[in-house]
Amino acid sequence: MPDNWGFVLAAYGLAAFVFLGYWRWLIRKEHDLRALRSDRAMRSHSPSRTAHPRPEPGSRAPLP
Amino acid sequence: MVKVLGWLAALGVAAGLIVGFGVAPREVTQGNVQRIMYLHVPAVWVAYLSFIVGFVASVAYLARRREGADRLAHAACEVGTVFLGVNIATGAIWGKPTWGTWWTWDARLTSVAVVFVMFLAYLLLRQAVEDRERGARYAAVLGIVAALNIPLVHFSVYWWRTLHQPPSLIKPGSSAMSPVILVALLVNFAALALLGAYFVARRTRVLAAEAEALA
Amino acid sequence: MSYARRALIVAWKDLVVERRSKETLNALLFFSLALLFVFQFTLGPDRERLAAVLPGVLWLGFILSGVLGLGRTFLVERENDCWEALLLAPGDKSAVYVGKLAASLAVMLVVEAIVLALFTLFFNVDLGPVLPGLALVIVLGTLGIAAVGALFAAMTAQVRARELLFPVLLLPVLVPVLLAAVKATEALLLREDLASVAHWWQLLVAADIVYVVIGLLTFDVILEG
Repeated sequence: MPDNWGFVLAAYGLAAFVFLGYWRWLIRKEHDLRALRSDRAMRSHSPSRTAHPRPEPGSRAPLP
Repeated sequence: MVKVLGWLAALGVAAGLIVGFGVAPREVTQGNVQRIMYLHVPAVWVAYLSFIVGFVASVAYLARRREGADRLAHAACEVGTVFLGVNIATGAIWGKPTWGTWWTWDARLTSVAVVFVMFLAYLLLRQAVEDRERGARYAAVLGIVAALNIPLVHFSVYWWRTLHQPPSLIKPGSSAMSPVILVALLVNFAALALLGAYFVARRTRVLAAEAEALA
Repeated sequence: MSYARRALIVAWKDLVVERRSKETLNALLFFSLALLFVFQFTLGPDRERLAAVLPGVLWLGFILSGVLGLGRTFLVERENDCWEALLLAPGDKSAVYVGKLAASLAVMLVVEAIVLALFTLFFNVDLGPVLPGLALVIVLGTLGIAAVGALFAAMTAQVRARELLFPVLLLPVLVPVLLAAVKATEALLLREDLASVAHWWQLLVAADIVYVVIGLLTFDVILEG
């Protein structure tokens, strides 16, 4: 029976494509969310015009 | 922690590929196309394992309403669906040269296809419900229904294909397995399980970050 | 107010609404008739083929009618703030589930009986000897459809993409029930011995138990808000 290496390659290639694609999607999401969070943090660090009390920097939980 | 898991998964995948292509012998009846099995079979094991995790997490969420359980359920069901999709696709690619057809309505393929669609529906529900808390509750219920439905699907389809119908299709590769092939399967299973666990861990992290971002 | 009484009130309310409007009944009936006609057009001359596909066609009609009817079972609550009233009702909300299930089941069974009668008339099938067995299959199958349907209908009632989502959730989950019902119906119509049907009955009973229990346990969760 012929070996059909083409099909073997297709199968493993497809799986690699899917897994790498999913992995990259996860990385991109995490990156976007981290950017969003640091963006907000930067804006909240800027001098505030309101009288809202802010917690002491030392009491904030460290970023992971 | 997640990083370690990622590296382990990468190592596992490498080991799996080496064993699958280097150590495992060329199969007698099918030839080298049988090597697709080292990807196809562990993928469905990992998928079903993920759905079980999803089921337990869904029950845990309904019991305690801890968001962590909801995120785990979501991630596990999603990753399970991805692996099941890979299983179906690789199965079709294997089937074409071996059986001469991309698809056939045998018991295993049909069951897997139904389960796949069920969990696609789960992901659709997650997308459709805007309120986070409600989405978590609904998805938990659906996750429980879908997981408990899996054995019902399998039995009904199996009986459909075997009652009054002697298995006319001799499936290559389902005959007695040599120990080397079994080891290759197990190594690849460990590899894909690590990969699945890594994906679930990363996915839950993304979900947690999303929740924080929306807070 | 006792649990049974609350369930009964919900069921009775739904049935009264249905009896007055006959909305669901009509929709289901005429949809099934349309199905009957189409299959006659495509398979009419070949009686053998027709007999072979009859179980499938029958249950196709039942399930599609069920999707239409069940998908709307909670829509009637959206008017007049009935939904909020349901949420605020005291006690175990699974009584509402039982009521909805009973009402849906009753309506579907009425439609199915009519459709079955019409099918036998138009396709000249003799159901006499197998009627009890067939009735059992139809009741068990419809119970499964309604049990999952009532739960998912409550879930999707609050979702924007309701009409799209409800069949997408319902149909894959119902594959075992449909499969068992169709094969059992086929076995009965072909006068096969009951041993082969027994498997399907068992599966239907098992599925029904699983779905109703899950429905009873989780309906409260769906109706939390």
